[in-house]
Amino acid sequence: MSDLRIINVEKQYKQPQQKDNPAFSLHPINLTIHEGEFFSLLGPSGCGKTSLLKLVAGLLQADNGEIWIGDQNLTQVPSEARNFAMVFQQSLLFPHMTVEDNVAFGLKMQKVDKKQRLSKARDMLEHVGLQSFGSRFPDELSGGQQQRVALARALVANPRVLLMDEPFSALDPGLREEMRDLLSRIQLEFHVTVLFVTHDREEAFSLSDRIAVMSRGEFLQVGTAKELYERPLTTKVASFLGLKNIIEGNVESGYFRSTDGSFEFIVDATTKNGLSCLIVRPEAMQLVTEDSPTLISGIQIQGIVEQMKFNHGFYSVKISAGESHLTCSLTSQQAATLCVGQTIALQIEKKELWVVND
Amino acid sequence: MKPQLFIKISLSLLVFLLMFLPFIPLILSSLSFGWQWPAIIPDSISFRAWDYVLFGSSGTWQAVGVSLLIALIVTIINILLAVPAANALVRNSFRGKWLMEAIIFAPIIIPPFVAVMGIHLTFLKLGLTETIVGVVLAHLSPTLPYMVRAIMISYQTLSVDWEDQARMLGAGPVSRFTLVVLPHLLPGIVAGASLSILISLSQYLITFIIGSGQVVTLSILLFPFISGGDPAIASAYSLLFAGMAIMTLFGLDVLLKKYYQQKKAVTNKG
Repeated sequence: MSDLRIINVEKQYKQPQQKDNPAFSLHPINLTIHEGEFFSLLGPSGCGKTSLLKLVAGLLQADNGEIWIGDQNLTQVPSEARNFAMVFQQSLLFPHMTVEDNVAFGLKMQKVDKKQRLSKARDMLEHVGLQSFGSRFPDELSGGQQQRVALARALVANPRVLLMDEPFSALDPGLREEMRDLLSRIQLEFHVTVLFVTHDREEAFSLSDRIAVMSRGEFLQVGTAKELYERPLTTKVASFLGLKNIIEGNVESGYFRSTDGSFEFIVDATTKNGLSCLIVRPEAMQLVTEDSPTLISGIQIQGIVEQMKFNHGFYSVKISAGESHLTCSLTSQQAATLCVGQTIALQIEKKELWVVND
Repeated sequence: MKPQLFIKISLSLLVFLLMFLPFIPLILSSLSFGWQWPAIIPDSISFRAWDYVLFGSSGTWQAVGVSLLIALIVTIINILLAVPAANALVRNSFRGKWLMEAIIFAPIIIPPFVAVMGIHLTFLKLGLTETIVGVVLAHLSPTLPYMVRAIMISYQTLSVDWEDQARMLGAGPVSRFTLVVLPHLLPGIVAGASLSILISLSQYLITFIIGSGQVVTLSILLFPFISGGDPAIASAYSLLFAGMAIMTLFGLDVLLKKYYQQKKAVTNKG
């Protein structure tokens, strides 16, 4: 097995890189990425995810820590000898070379002879759907095509790890989805380990086997998309993943009680006492109607509809319950019976109530 | 006729006139023999001046050779010095960077005469006066700033990401420079080289003081005739000088175009 292991890697910037950025540091990070795994680093800009990627690539020198792949220590190995590949936000195709020569560049560096490297390059171009573009120059291609060439160029030399730094963020939304599908397909086909940096949670969710949520040079949580979304460890993770229904409260003697008193229910014995937050996913709240089944375990809340917004395929409805404002997702049919200002009842199953201590 | 076309034609005509009009009296003067005031064109045509310049024992061709040799060596040294200097000045931020830049660009602002007096004294002690080596060294200071400036601008448009990308594809330092950095810098290098050649060719004062009349370039030959010797010969030399400069630039242009064509031909074949 050749897993990628990041052991206690740490980096401090003494001087601020930009005027408005404070001095930045990457706290010691430990991570193992399995062979063939698609791993994403997700976080807001300036959280250190690109720095971590460049540390793994060897383009930045770490203050401390080691990078291993399998049983080989790569910490002192220069970037060009690590046999990693990287795709940047810009495609960075060499403008004075044809598409084919660009793709073959990595093989040329490995001293593969010309015939062989060009046939491999053409093969790779076929995989990304650009077989007839080999003799063109990069400036004759569109942005999406250029990024596909960049992907082909990165993969042609069979890299041990493919590093990607927000590769699709400069593309149109439609094109971005197309590229995601292509990347997923190619990643399965070549069984390459991918370390992917993005600030787009949808992108991370749809592509990754596992995701690390980062903030200020630290990992907040590492897990699968489902784990992160349904069981976020902190409110920070929850709010970064777009969960806005965070209700402050207190856990005491087996009960959670919200600050305004509108939520109260029994929690697991394992939940720690003290200040806590309740996190409810918008789709976990069910509208109570005359013929809806009553829940055996769960809670019911009353709220006033404040706003309704159509949001591809469903309605996102804002309600106020006590002092807190909640957003829930309802189907168009359910939403058709509602109007702003109406009081409605919602119920939440017990297993959907998620309490975290910050 | 469309008004746009009319403007285009008249502007081209104007530029043409401004560029070539001054050459007409120069040509006439080089062919004249005692061209005096009320005559609009010289009353007698003579090839005496051209005969002296091109075929006489004037040492013209040797001077042309020396001028070009000095300009070429100066330019090559400039490229070798300016590429790392521009790299350091653009890519790094270090203490006293402004001072470094000021020292490199000072020769543009400070009159060459000031510097050349000091250089002359030093070169006398080192035994470098009256030699081509000495003149080449002295020509570096007024030409280097332009070369550094041109290459710095090329470097400013080359993001480090390009080299990082090449690195991630397995390119070592030498491959990175020759395959990625150099092609990007080439237009800047050519611009700097053109300036460097032209400035080196037209140096009179520095060549005269350091070369002490022993290193004879075309400017050295030209000067005494301009300052009152023989206007016909001065005109012929001026034309020759302009021709030499234009031919050099033209040659550089042809070489560059050939390089790009070759590049394209190679990639087309592959």
